[in-house]
Parts: sequence; C-alpha cells; structure tokens
Amino acid sequence: MKIFIIGVLTVFLVSCTSEKKPDDQEFQKSLESTEEKTGIDEGVINAILDQIPSPLEISVLLKESGSKYNGALLNQSDNLVKYNNNYKKALNLGVYGTDLGYTNIYSQNQDGIKFISSIKSLADELNIGQFFDIETIGRLATNSKNPDSLLLITTLNFNHINHYLQTQGRDNLSVLLLTGGWLEAMQITCQVAAKKPSKELFEKIGEQKIILEQILLLFSFYKDDTNMAGLLKDFELLKAAYEKVTINYTYKESSMEIVNGVAVIKDNSTTTIDITEQTVEEIRTIINSIRTRIIN
Amino acid sequence: MQSSIMKKIIFLILFSSAFGVGAGEIVQQCNSDNLANECIPKLSEGFNFLKSYKIDGTAKDRIEYSYVFMKGTQYMINICTGGAVTDGMVVSILDKDRNKIASSKINGQFVSAIAYPCNASGIYYIQYTFDDPSNHCGGSALGFKR
Repeated sequence: MKIFIIGVLTVFLVSCTSEKKPDDQEFQKSLESTEEKTGIDEGVINAILDQIPSPLEISVLLKESGSKYNGALLNQSDNLVKYNNNYKKALNLGVYGTDLGYTNIYSQNQDGIKFISSIKSLADELNIGQFFDIETIGRLATNSKNPDSLLLITTLNFNHINHYLQTQGRDNLSVLLLTGGWLEAMQITCQVAAKKPSKELFEKIGEQKIILEQILLLFSFYKDDTNMAGLLKDFELLKAAYEKVTINYTYKESSMEIVNGVAVIKDNSTTTIDITEQTVEEIRTIINSIRTRIIN
Repeated sequence: MQSSIMKKIIFLILFSSAFGVGAGEIVQQCNSDNLANECIPKLSEGFNFLKSYKIDGTAKDRIEYSYVFMKGTQYMINICTGGAVTDGMVVSILDKDRNKIASSKINGQFVSAIAYPCNASGIYYIQYTFDDPSNHCGGSALGFKR
C-alpha cells in the first residue's frame, strides 16, 4: 500500500513540475548579469513598469499630425545577427516592437512582416517565443483589412511577454524591453520633429521627461548589472538635457456627464510644457547616439 | 481507519491531477483574468487597446494601478463583472496628488466606462473600489485614441 502511495505521489509531483515550460531552466541560465538579486520589492518595479505608456501612442500622434510614413527611420531587420547577448536582444526586441507598431499604424504591412520575423527570432532566443503568436500575426499582417486586429494582438503578445518576465522575477529583461521600445519611439519622434518642427511635437518630446524619470528610477535598481549601469550613464546625459524642460501642472476640478452609458469627463486641469528648439536638438542628438549604440 | 484516510488522499490527488485543478484554483473564486479579457472588445470603436487589469479585491477594499496619461490623448477605461451592469464596482482616476479627476459613479449612478480626454500629462492612479460588499471581482481594459 505504502509503495503504491509513494508511486502515486511521485507521478503527481512529476506532473506538477512538468507544467513548468521546458524552456524555463534554459531561460534562467541564459540570462546574463541577473544572478545577483536587487533586493528591491519586485512589486515596486512591476508597478513602475506597468505605468509606462505604449510607444503606439506616439506613432498614432505622428500619423494624426500628418507626418508621412518613413521606413528609413526604423531599425533594419537584418541587424538581428548583431544581437548576440541577452542585454541587446531584450533592448532590440523592444526596438523592433515599436517599429512593428509604427508599420501597423501606417498599414505598411510589407515592412511589418520583416519585423515580425526579427521579433520572433529574438523572442525565441530569449525563450519567450511561446507568447508570440506568429501564425496569427502573419495572417493579419498579410490582410491589410485588419490593422486594428493586428495592433490588438501584437499589444496583447507584448503585454503577455512583460507579464511573464515579471512573474518569473526577470523584470530586468522587461525593463530593457520597455526601454528599447521607448527609445525607438523617441528616436522616431525626434527625427520627425527635426524634419518638420512643430510646437505639438516639441511638447510631446518635452513631456517624455515624465517617462524618463520613471526609467531612471527603474535603472537605479540595477546598478550592479554592468550593462544596465552603462546604459544608466547614457540616460544621465539625457536627464541633464531634460533638466532644461519644465512641466507645470495646474489642477482644476473636472466635470462629468453620462453619454450613452459612458461617463464622459471634461478635464479642466492643464500642463504647460516649456522646451526650446535648442533643447529638442540636444535631446535628439543624445537619443540618436544611445540608439545607434543599441542597434549596432 | 488509516486505510480509509489513505484512500481519500489518493482519490483527492488523482482527482486534482486528472482535472488539472490546483489547490490555489480551488481557493480562488475570482476569475479576474477572464473578466479582464472580456473587457477588451468592449472598448468603444476607435479606441486602441493598451492594457487589461485584473480586479481581484476579494480580500481588499480597493485595487490600484498607475499609468502615465498624455495630454491630447483620449483614454477609455471600462469595467466588467460577471453580473449586471457594474455590480457596485467603481473605477476612478486620480491625479498624482490624489485629486479625483474622473469616476464611473456619477450622482449615485453606476456606468461601466469612463471616456477621459486628458488635458494634463502625468502619472495617474486608476483605482477600483466596491460599493457592493458581496462583489469585489472583475476585470477592466484601458484603451486610447487621438
């Protein structure tokens, strides 16, 4: 009887542990510079990560402001071979993610397909490829009637990847992924602003100070990671440039009304963003320099 | 007696294995993941999906997330519960100083979504509270449009 029970328990335990994806052990091993735990509450890191907005918002702004699609602003999909460590892979997964979003917004699906392939490769190499539904994305990408579905599924896939990394205690990769995505969105915005300067774009660049502060906070948790500490130094330069940007917030009570079952808010609070053309140029130069090092 | 207990243990183990039911899942009765997913297609037309939020407040009075909203962008946050309308669940948006900017409860009336055209960039709190003590479970989705 005892032998039978031990047998059943063994089968049960094996069946439980086999639920863990086979990639997990390799994934754990494959991480570089992540052996040392930060000692910081992961909940705090994840809360900061969750509040960083999607780079899609900027891509939509660019399109709505009349800026034309420019594939030359994006990373090249064949740069993939250069990314030979997990630090670069995670950063460039974020970069390609933003590039894919940009092509989606402009319905440039032929360009998008190239990024899908690069994203899948990087995600596989980071052992998170199981969250990237390449078949569905490929099908939607070849059917330009479904740009919204394509956006939805890519956003969902990236959300799942981030959530998975965070629950696995590998939030450093999640930080890099989001940072790469943000940098690429900044780079696109700065290049567009240089070609076609506008107050709206300058303000958009200026208000990214809020995001930069959050990214700097995140990086401060990983000072023991050589790669991330190096990138933090670059971001300190960016921070110095952003110190010339002022954002003033004024709160005024908002009003609300119900329209078709939705509470529609009239926001009476305001922010004013003071940024000069010289500061935009300085930010553009620093962003371009950081981004060049990341993608090459 | 001992043999009878053993049989019960074996039955429970085999039952759990066969149906893939873990102890955690037996205890957890709030399927906030599903409810969050249900909310995504309920975002109004024209809104791009950004994030979904699980609202599992079975042991809490409120659930809070934060997000950076940007001036010039319109956001929509909706809530989904298993039951009728919002089951007393309220979503509110607070600014960084915790001033209330928006709420899905207006003059005692509950609605299932907020449309928030942001006029001031910054970090905001998305807070879920529960007027009905019997339901602290739901999901929510956030979308945006320009």
